[in-house]
Amino acid sequence: MRRRTALALAACLGLMPLAPARADDPPAKPERVLIPYRLTDANHLMVRVKVNGKGPFHFIVDTGAPAVFISKDVAKKAGAAKDGADGKEWIKFDSFELEGGLKVEKARGRAEDLVQFEGMNKMGLAGVEIHGVIGYEVLAKYRIEYDLTRDKLAFEPLKFNPPALIPIGGKGGDDIQSMKPMVNMMIALLGLKPNYDVVPRGFTGIEYDEKGGKVTIKAVLPGSPAAKAGLKVGDVITSIKADDVKTGKDLHKALAKAGVGTSWRFYLTRGNQDVEVVVELGKGL
Amino acid sequence: MNTALKLLLLAALLGFARGTAAAPPDEDAPKPDLKKDDDKAVVVPFELLDSRHMAMQVKVNGKGPYRVIFDTGAPMNIVNNKVAKAAGLLAKDDKPAPLFGASMNAKTIKTFEVGGLKLEGMQAMVMDHPTVEAIGKAVGPVEGLIGFPFFARYKMTIDYQKKEMTLVPNGFVPGDTMQNMMSKIMGAGGGKKPDPAVIAPAGVWGFAVDKDANDEGDGVKVTAVTERGPAAAGGLKVGDRLLTLDGRWTDSVGDTFIAARQVKPGTPVVLVVKRAGKEVKLTVTPANGL
Repeated sequence: MRRRTALALAACLGLMPLAPARADDPPAKPERVLIPYRLTDANHLMVRVKVNGKGPFHFIVDTGAPAVFISKDVAKKAGAAKDGADGKEWIKFDSFELEGGLKVEKARGRAEDLVQFEGMNKMGLAGVEIHGVIGYEVLAKYRIEYDLTRDKLAFEPLKFNPPALIPIGGKGGDDIQSMKPMVNMMIALLGLKPNYDVVPRGFTGIEYDEKGGKVTIKAVLPGSPAAKAGLKVGDVITSIKADDVKTGKDLHKALAKAGVGTSWRFYLTRGNQDVEVVVELGKGL
Repeated sequence: MNTALKLLLLAALLGFARGTAAAPPDEDAPKPDLKKDDDKAVVVPFELLDSRHMAMQVKVNGKGPYRVIFDTGAPMNIVNNKVAKAAGLLAKDDKPAPLFGASMNAKTIKTFEVGGLKLEGMQAMVMDHPTVEAIGKAVGPVEGLIGFPFFARYKMTIDYQKKEMTLVPNGFVPGDTMQNMMSKIMGAGGGKKPDPAVIAPAGVWGFAVDKDANDEGDGVKVTAVTERGPAAAGGLKVGDRLLTLDGRWTDSVGDTFIAARQVKPGTPVVLVVKRAGKEVKLTVTPANGL
């Protein structure tokens, strides 16, 4: 138990790289852009970025990092890796576009494989693979609004040249990065294997109303699996398999993990009759 | 063995620091200068350190002020042992791990003050984070990090030009990072790969998309649009190339479902499609359904 606590702790702190550099990027054009983000299972704010048109890759919004850091693998995939790049040189990106439509002009970054990401990625702790961080050099160019009750961040370009990075003293990284083999061994011992693949839920093809503890079918989309199985407008869905349905939420929960091609028994009230219909879920949404 | 494990696990959570030359320490940190925009918005000034971190003054259980780094990438707050001792966070029988003086469990801070805000029950880990110490050596004392458990509670605007952060409570209750991690670790393991996650849209749209394995272009192909469905009502057509849904890229079937998962039924959103070489914006309102 304690060992696992430590492992969890290990995986989710300290995305704080520190790097010497200069920056002289001009501010982008002023326009508020909404950037979709996702809160990872490790409570990081993750945004998606296309680097040199490749990706999207997953970046953590990190005021604790001085600049953009990307994994070597991503640098390679984006065609941005220099021969023999060892993280000590800046990579200039031809394009660096955040999901939501924000193109960061003259973006640059470092390619380094940080043990923090490798550990987290191998354990699947964030629930999503992390490819890099976006730090000060990019973040400081925008007035950024963060609100966890919304599903987007708001970036507004500032007419302002952020103070450049300057070399400062600092050590303490190399010993941490050298822990890599041991961390990997730990992960192997615990048998953690993440799966980042996703599959779509199957398509039923109904619209419903929910009122007074009843979910009533309002529309059956023509040609949909629901239509083929014989669900009808006015049917009240009372349960699916063993799950009682009283609200739309219940219905969604009952089918939350229902993949394409799986079959589900719908228990219905149609007029005064109890009816059972098996629906084979199709492709679509 | 157990101690060794703890040590190396703790090691993994630490940031890395690099530098080439020492810079002179920054001038003294400005005192927090609180001003209130209205009853709820609080403006907290921050200092931009030479390391280009944001630093703020905080009081922990009335002690301080201490200078800490504000870090959106930190899922947990951290204070060092010096602060923990002064603020009475450590129990008498707490034995810090031999590495970085870390305590294994989060400590509860009775009162945590930032600017004019006073928070109760904030959690923090106690640790002498080597990156924080390295930064402190270069730019003057830094005693910890504050991150997600703090800022998630606010609509927060960060302005590096004005060097200030504006905070308005948003009612969000941050989840416990450690607990999330623990349940992940407990649920996984045994060497078995879990099943892929099923992505369920929040409403019904009435269309289907697909993408060939060797298709590397942006977007996905719209392969079906159900008659009289929400997508049909919005003008989506078979053969359209769906590029974005509510501002989110739809470069794969999975992406499309992830984008649709975010949209509450009844909310009109923009779908951008490529049709006959031109980008077309459509507005579609998903319905309650599935």
